[in-house]
Amino acid sequence: MSKKLNEIPGIEWTGETGDFIKVDGERCTGCANCLRVCLGNCYEIVEKKARIKSLDTCMECAACWYACPEDAIDFSWPPGGTGFRTEWG
Amino acid sequence: MDSRQMSETYDVVVVGAGFGGPVAAKKCADAGLKTLMLERSENVGEKVISGLTIPFYGFLFGPAFIRDGNPPVERPADGIINYIIKDIETGEIDIDDTLRIPKPLSPIIAFGYNAYCKPFCEWEVQKALESGVELRTAITVTDVIRENGCVKGIVTERGERIGAKIIIDAEGSQGLLAIKSGVRKKYPPDAISLADIYDYEMPKEALDRIFGHTIRFCWGWDEQKIAPPLGHGNGLMIWPYRNSVHFMQDQCLRKDGGPVYNLKKDLQTYHHNITSKLPWWRDEIAPHITIRARMWEGFEIFVGLDENLRSMPNHTDGMILIGDAAGLENTELCDGVPTAWFSADIAADVAIESIKAADQSKEFLKRYDDRIKSHPVIQWAITATNRYNLRYAQKGHDEEKLKKYIHDGWGIGSFTHASTPLLTVMLDLIEKDPMIISQWIKMYLRYYYNWHHERFGSEGEKDRTGRRAKEVSSGTRRLKMGLKLLDIVLRVLSPLIRVKARLFLPLCRHVNPSMAAVLPKIEPAYLRLRKKLEEKSAPLSRKIVDAVICSDPSIFE
Repeated sequence: MSKKLNEIPGIEWTGETGDFIKVDGERCTGCANCLRVCLGNCYEIVEKKARIKSLDTCMECAACWYACPEDAIDFSWPPGGTGFRTEWG
Repeated sequence: MDSRQMSETYDVVVVGAGFGGPVAAKKCADAGLKTLMLERSENVGEKVISGLTIPFYGFLFGPAFIRDGNPPVERPADGIINYIIKDIETGEIDIDDTLRIPKPLSPIIAFGYNAYCKPFCEWEVQKALESGVELRTAITVTDVIRENGCVKGIVTERGERIGAKIIIDAEGSQGLLAIKSGVRKKYPPDAISLADIYDYEMPKEALDRIFGHTIRFCWGWDEQKIAPPLGHGNGLMIWPYRNSVHFMQDQCLRKDGGPVYNLKKDLQTYHHNITSKLPWWRDEIAPHITIRARMWEGFEIFVGLDENLRSMPNHTDGMILIGDAAGLENTELCDGVPTAWFSADIAADVAIESIKAADQSKEFLKRYDDRIKSHPVIQWAITATNRYNLRYAQKGHDEEKLKKYIHDGWGIGSFTHASTPLLTVMLDLIEKDPMIISQWIKMYLRYYYNWHHERFGSEGEKDRTGRRAKEVSSGTRRLKMGLKLLDIVLRVLSPLIRVKARLFLPLCRHVNPSMAAVLPKIEPAYLRLRKKLEEKSAPLSRKIVDAVICSDPSIFE
C-alpha cells in the first residue's frame, strides 16, 4: 500500500521495503556524515552511533552510503516495486 | 555455477529501463536477439530523477527511432540565460545570454528539449516493446552469475537465475551491480553530487511570458550561499516545462577529501536565499507557482576528469556498462542522456557482433571501450572543464575568471571546445547518408508541432487536442513544397555532398582553435546583429511558427 507524506509533496512510498539499508554498529564511529547528507531525515545518532530511524522517506539516492568513511552502511535497492515513486522526476 | 540451473536464458539481458536501457534493448531485439529488460520500479520511469534539458546533439546524433519519432517533451529550449549574481543583497547581477538560437530560427530550431523523465522513459520502453523486447518490472537484480570468470547471467532478489550471452548494465550512477560483479569500485564522495529538486506548477501563459524557451542558470560567490559552491556541484538550474517549472541545485558530498558537507542544512539555505532574495524569482516567478513535488538524487560528477575514475573498466567478459553506470555523465551540461543513448547504441552493436561471432570475452568486447573512446562527442562531454574550473575563480575571487568560465561553459564561448566534436560527428553522419539532413529538419519541425499540439506517441494517437489542420495557409503550402524540394535536392546531390563531407572531415580539428581566435573579435557584432534580428524578424518568426503548427504532420514524418 502506498502513501503520500505531506511534508514531501509529489512522492509516494510503499511501506513493504524491509530494511534495505543497514548500519553496522561495530564499524560506525558516530561521525554523523549520514545525517548530514540525508535529505529524508532517515538517520539519528543514539549513544554515539548512527541508526536508521525510518526508511519511510528514503529516496534511494545512496548519499549516506557514499558519505560514510567507515563503510558502515550497507546500501541495497529495496525489493522490486517498493520504495518511493514519483511522476515528476 | 552450473548453467543448467538457469531458469531461462536470453541472448541479451538489459538491467535498467531508464534512458539508455530501452535504446540498447530495442536495437538488440531489432537484430533478432532474444532480449529481456529488467526494471526494479513497478512502473517504468517512476524512480528516474533528473533536470532536464536533453541537448540537441542527443536527438540529432542518437538513435534513429527517437530522432524520427514523437517522444514526449515539455518545452523546446532555445538556450541558456546565466545570472551571475555578484551581490544578491543589492541585486547586482550580470547576465550572459550569449548561447541562444537566434530568431527567426528559434523556437523551431532548438538548443534542446526539456522533459520529465517518466513519460520519456515510458515512451522509449514502448518502442522497445514494439520491437519484441520482453520487459519485467518490479524486479531488482542483485548479482551476476559467473562461469569460469565470465558473466553468464544475473540473479534476481527472488533467486531467479536468468542466463544471457551478454548483460548490458544500464542501472545508473550508483552502479551496485557493476560493483558487485567486480567491474567497478564505489565512487569517492567527491565524485558524487546530491541534487535537491523542486517541481512547481505554473500556468503556461506565465511561463511563456517570463521564460519563453530559455533555461536559467544561477551563479554566485560561495559566501552568498545562494547556490552550491562554484565548481563543487552543477550549481543551480531552473527549467521551464509546459505547465511547471523545475528548480535543481546540486552539490558534491565532499570537496577535495575534506569533511562531508552538511547538505541537509546547506541546500535548504541556498533554496531559501535564492527564492527570497533574487528579485527575478521573488517578484516574477513566486506569485505564479505552487509546489507540486520535491525530490533528491545522487549522481556522479566529474568522473571523466579524474584519471583513476575515468580508467575504471566499462566491460568485462559477458557484460557491458552504458550511460551513468559507465561514468559517462556530461561534466559541462550536467546531463547524461545523450551519452547514455550513444553508449547504448554502441553496446547493442557490439553485443550483436559478439553473439554473431560466438565470442563474449573481454578481449572481444573491448571494441565497445574503443568506440566509446573514439566517439568525439562522448569524449568531449565527459572531459569538459569549465564547470570544474569555477572553483579557481572562487579561490582568487576572480570576477574575470568567473565570467570567462561561464561564457565558455554555457555561453557562446562553448563553440571554442564543442564545435570540433559536434561538427565531426555531424559530417560523419552526413557522409554516410546525406538524407539525414532532411531527417534533422523534419525532426525540428515535427517536435515543435508535437509540442504545440501535445501530440506524442505514434501517428498522433496521443494527440490530446484532436486537432488537424483545418485550413492550409500559403505558409504551410510553401513548407510542404520546400521539404519535398529538399528531399529531391539531397537525393540528386548525394554523391557530391558525400565527397564534400569527406573532404571537410579532417578539417574539423581546426574549428575549435579557429573559433577561439575569431569569436572574441566577432562576438560584439554578432550580439548586435542578433538583437536587431530579434526585433525585426518577429513577424517572420510568427509566420514560420504558424506554417509549422498549421501543417498536416504527415509532411514531417
